[in-house]
Amino acid sequence: MKKFAVVAGLVLAAVFLLNAQEGGPAPGGRPGAPNPAAEAARAAAADRGHTLFKTNCSACHGEDATGGRGADLIRSSLVRHDKNGELIGPVITNGRVEKGMPSFQLTDAQIADVVAFLQSQLTLFDLHTRFGPYPNDIPAERLATGTVEAGKAYFDSHCSSCHSPTGDLAGIAKKYNPPDLEVRFLYPSGSPSTAIVTLPSGQKFEGTVLLNDDFYIAIQGKDGWYHSWPRSAVKAEITDPLAAHAELLQKYTDADMHNIFTYLETLK
Amino acid sequence: MKRFPTLVLFACSFAAHLHAQELDPTKLLKPPTDTWPTFNGDYTGRRYSTLTQINRENVGSITLAWAFQTHSRSLESMPLEVNGIMYISGGNEIWAVDARNGRQIWHFARPGAPLGGGNKGVAMWKDRLYMTTPDAQLLCIDAHAGKLLWQIQLDDPALKAFGGVAPLVIRDHVVVGTSGDTADLPGFLLSVDPMDGKVQWRWDAMPKKEDTVAWNSWPHDTDVVTRGGGMTWITGTYDPNLNLLYWGTGNLHPVENSEARVGANLYTCTIVALNPDTGKLVWYFQSSPHDTHDWDTVMTPILFDGTFKGKPRKMLAQANKNGLFFVLDRTNGKALISEAFVPANWVKGYDDRGQPIPDPDKEPKPNGVLVTGGVGTNWQAPSYDPDTGLFYVNSRETMGVFYLTMPGKSAEGWAGRDFFLGSKSMLKAIDVQTGKVRWTADTQGRGGQSGILTTAGHLVFTADMSQNLVALDAVTGKVLWHMYPGGAVGTGPMTYELDGRQYVVYLADSVAYTFALPSR
Repeated sequence: MKKFAVVAGLVLAAVFLLNAQEGGPAPGGRPGAPNPAAEAARAAAADRGHTLFKTNCSACHGEDATGGRGADLIRSSLVRHDKNGELIGPVITNGRVEKGMPSFQLTDAQIADVVAFLQSQLTLFDLHTRFGPYPNDIPAERLATGTVEAGKAYFDSHCSSCHSPTGDLAGIAKKYNPPDLEVRFLYPSGSPSTAIVTLPSGQKFEGTVLLNDDFYIAIQGKDGWYHSWPRSAVKAEITDPLAAHAELLQKYTDADMHNIFTYLETLK
Repeated sequence: MKRFPTLVLFACSFAAHLHAQELDPTKLLKPPTDTWPTFNGDYTGRRYSTLTQINRENVGSITLAWAFQTHSRSLESMPLEVNGIMYISGGNEIWAVDARNGRQIWHFARPGAPLGGGNKGVAMWKDRLYMTTPDAQLLCIDAHAGKLLWQIQLDDPALKAFGGVAPLVIRDHVVVGTSGDTADLPGFLLSVDPMDGKVQWRWDAMPKKEDTVAWNSWPHDTDVVTRGGGMTWITGTYDPNLNLLYWGTGNLHPVENSEARVGANLYTCTIVALNPDTGKLVWYFQSSPHDTHDWDTVMTPILFDGTFKGKPRKMLAQANKNGLFFVLDRTNGKALISEAFVPANWVKGYDDRGQPIPDPDKEPKPNGVLVTGGVGTNWQAPSYDPDTGLFYVNSRETMGVFYLTMPGKSAEGWAGRDFFLGSKSMLKAIDVQTGKVRWTADTQGRGGQSGILTTAGHLVFTADMSQNLVALDAVTGKVLWHMYPGGAVGTGPMTYELDGRQYVVYLADSVAYTFALPSR
């Protein structure tokens, strides 16, 4: 088996080489399976590049390379198409005098580090602007565009039967960053349903629902044990603690959302 | 271990006869029975098989015929079955498996290439297989031995382009797209020669200046039109009589910023009809004009013929990620039906071709905006059953909150953030004559992310949110069979008949499960 793999590997490698030698299409993409050592080297290069960037570039191009007095490098097509400094390098070493950029005397290795830093920034922008806090955390004042009065009125009429600003919600605005606070009041997912399961014998089990599909119900019982039954064999009374939130979620207007957030943001 | 040399001998000594294992191209033109020769089973994308051996009377007794363990990561691909051989793909690998008994025939794995999931399947032409890879290459592989014949670079992985889409073979064209969701990544379709990979034509999702209508659907005070969008993630469909290829395109960048790209932004989030011999655009239907919510239009455009309001029509139906169901006249791209199949508050109305008009109030805002309709379904294939006239789709009702984090014309990347709250998954059966949902199977979160297969046995095969494989009555939606395979279904089921026995195949996690009626 092992031998087979080696032989097959050689055969395939030969095919790859053949393709390359024929001047045909480029062989197998970037080499190597995910390589922790290479990743670490890249990260180290990006770190060194970050330091160089702070010293030489960030005054004009911004701390995160999104520009300032100088160009936004994240939105730069040239930066994105650079592989190893072949495009960025000449700009750094020659400057762009007509645009007010002086030349910087960096070594090839230093330029490669700056490129590594910029590439890490591109990755952050492409992926993390969607998910992470960097670099566009959403400040509370941007969300708090409603009025406290309207938010409080909505809260008093729709939320106060379960929640209290001096009880469970006391200091809530301190606990969560602004978008989390908003998303959580809209729908605080993660609270499991509970069930009371009644067997044909009349025996009852109560617990947290672990599985509830067409075929089985399973709970973590109050006795600490896992229990499951065919769905058709038992009666299950299920309580979703988020039912009221789910119902309200369908009714909120954008203005309601802004007002409620503005009010909750005062609970510090 | 012992088997391998034997197989090599077998492969060598019988090489002369192996043309019998080639794919007969006429198989692509009929509903799949003994062969599942392409991603969608046939060109129509219906994923409907005329096989009836497994039917609603006996499906409860189907049992495991065999399983094949790839020892890989979770698979998202659709296997092919051609002349008794199943081809299963994932990342950078293909397994050829005996479709009778699940024994491996050969295994192709690229040495040294990075692994990655997301492969949707292979295509076949004569005795060759074609697959796209995580590093955005198209490989051509000899189907009897699993040997690489050639490869071409489709797109630039340094710009975060990747492969995965199952190519589509139309006569002597291998049509292929690429995936990715970053700036500076313009989408395209490429047609290459199946023999040597030479490019025959290329269609670009980002328009050129000569294409006035599309060009003018972009602003020209920024360079946004020269940058990226309109990726071609999922295999399209083909009408051999009209000689039209139908394919959907993805979203654009900056994703959630409207201001940087005022206009409809053709041909992103669009169903395009192309001539497969030239790559020339014949018509388009933009399902999300000026998309600001990441609503790719890559869901399968399903083709079927019939009468619509008393008139014979050639139709194309799509359940879109944006929550809308469209039935188009596929000769000209005009909508016969544009109708929400889940609540969709971002739609202000429809234009005279049935394209939605987005409500600017529901574009992402700095202080957040509540949006319904989003990710109403995803790329996992739906199915159309001509016997019931129903279009089956695994749908989700969601409430999204969308924040614009990078306003202004120079925004880059995602430019916003979105959260989907309290989603409710359900399988919906939509009447293609009205666009109305005939029935919904929404108990216990049925629906999920699996694709769907329908058969003339009056069955709908899919998987639910709890990862159960299920078969439902196509008319009523009643569950008739279920099985838990111990992992998630990444794509949908397929079926084929061999030696008079019908098999239904699911890939769950890294295992292929094949079910049939008990053997006699």
